[in-house]
Amino acid sequence: MTTATPHVHPRQEVPSDDPRVQLDEAVGVFEPIPPYPPRTERESEFYTLGDGEMYINMGPQHPSTHGVLRIVLKLDGEQVVDLDPVLGYLHRGVEKLCENADYHHTIAYLDPLEYISSLFCEWPGVLAFEKLLDVEVPRRAEYIRVLSTELNRILSHSLFMGWMALDLGGLTPILWSFIERDEIAEMLAALTGQRLLFNYLRIGGVNGDLNHEFLSRLGDWMSRATHQIENNLGLLNQNEIFVRRMRGLGVLDKETAFRMAVTGPNLRASGVPLDFRRAHPYSVFTELEFDIPTRDEGDCLARYLVRIDEIKQSLRIIDQCLHNMPDGPIMAKLPRLLRPRPGRAYAAVEGPRGQYAAYVVSDGTDQPFRMRIHDPSFVHLQSVGVLMPGHLIADAMAVMASLDPIMGGVDK
Amino acid sequence: MDAALKRRLQDRFGAQLIAPIQQRHDETEIRIGAGDVPDVCRALHDEPAFGFILLADLAGVDTGDVMQVVYHLWSETTTDWLRVVADGLSREDPRVPSITFLWKGAEWMEREAYDMFGIAFEGNRDLRRIYMPPDYQSFPLRKDFFLPDDAARSPGAGVRHMEQSHAPTNARAATMIRKSRA
Repeated sequence: MTTATPHVHPRQEVPSDDPRVQLDEAVGVFEPIPPYPPRTERESEFYTLGDGEMYINMGPQHPSTHGVLRIVLKLDGEQVVDLDPVLGYLHRGVEKLCENADYHHTIAYLDPLEYISSLFCEWPGVLAFEKLLDVEVPRRAEYIRVLSTELNRILSHSLFMGWMALDLGGLTPILWSFIERDEIAEMLAALTGQRLLFNYLRIGGVNGDLNHEFLSRLGDWMSRATHQIENNLGLLNQNEIFVRRMRGLGVLDKETAFRMAVTGPNLRASGVPLDFRRAHPYSVFTELEFDIPTRDEGDCLARYLVRIDEIKQSLRIIDQCLHNMPDGPIMAKLPRLLRPRPGRAYAAVEGPRGQYAAYVVSDGTDQPFRMRIHDPSFVHLQSVGVLMPGHLIADAMAVMASLDPIMGGVDK
Repeated sequence: MDAALKRRLQDRFGAQLIAPIQQRHDETEIRIGAGDVPDVCRALHDEPAFGFILLADLAGVDTGDVMQVVYHLWSETTTDWLRVVADGLSREDPRVPSITFLWKGAEWMEREAYDMFGIAFEGNRDLRRIYMPPDYQSFPLRKDFFLPDDAARSPGAGVRHMEQSHAPTNARAATMIRKSRA
């Protein structure tokens, strides 16, 4: 007779020689929270409330912040006392991605930085690579680059007109300016294959030659562009509310502009005729005729009017490009795999917002060792902190709109 | 290349230069120690012979051995870009004086360099992270920070978590870091 033993399953022993399950130290459920860094001088100044002041968060989903930007406003009633922009909602680490990408591949990463003027983001990168490689770009390619980027400039500026009015509460101009913008976008789509992120410039040239559809669309548009833009302007320039509200708002004087490292139309609106197409010529701008429009007031209206004048100059440049377009190849002869000698190169172009630049360090491999991208929106957004205090909240948004930052470029 | 600018720079800053002046295309490059940055920048900005009034760019660079801070300046007295390289910052504790007293606009660029490289700009009164969250621990653009999907460039290390401490004890073996002599 056998004794009844309780049926016990022996405990399954985990084989301890498996390195995957061996742990040196116990894993807690909660990781220790890293210490929060102490406040900086400026931060503690900002986060100390005076008498009758309060904070308001603007963004990151506010429609007039031009993207995903959060601004902490310190208010005294309706008046902005101080502000603290919080960035990083759109940060994609483009510089790091570029360091891990082929030289040709990098251009596609530069594109989405500023989704309004993509060609200007590609250009400095491409220029810097060409400097590293000592490539001579064919003249036809240079002319096509100038032609397409000036179109892109008009696209950007005409959209700016609409946004500017939208931030001041006028809804119609943005609908009108999108007509202009769409025509140019379609035109560039015929040339590059894309409507928004063109990915058109190549190291040593451009991706495709001018084609019939692009030229016929361009010719058609050029014949009525001046008239059409004048029409759009009538909507705003003769609008008393718009002009009165913009005049004397957010004045940026010459010294402050240089101190804040401001470039582009915002600097020219403060009376400095600094345009890198003239001041530091690249591509074929030495052969082209155009003026540098400036204004002395430095207020929102001046920044708006400078951009309007720039549209007219861009039309002039496009006209000259079409008349002087040389024949020839559109790409320099280059190997597929690029290995520039170790060195450093810096290149800057004048974009619709200011100086777009790239600083590239090569270590002799097929990937850039360091790719620094300088974006004007980043710098200009910083000067909002100087211009906004003292204005009403509604005007503060107008000041920001007049500087025309694009968050894709700010956050890189 | 502006030979006259090279002569002027050599005459004025000869003592502070730690490497010969280099010129290529439309760029002139001078290398100085980190401590000389405020003096050199002030002279370049203020003296009419130079007149570099515009700070075009400020960038941090991690060469794998040392850290650098690279300033690009523009002036109407020359046709060149001037590149001022503050060289030889230690990777463990990179420190350089701030230039916000000349260009207030450098404040955010310095914040960016601090955020990405951990370079401390002494005198910047708002030195905190700008893109990454404030309690983030590591510095993404340093060469010992690998992309998690970039196993090919980190032999033997495989895929690592995005965020890692930059403490020297935790630093990767020096041979694994991509380096540049540039």
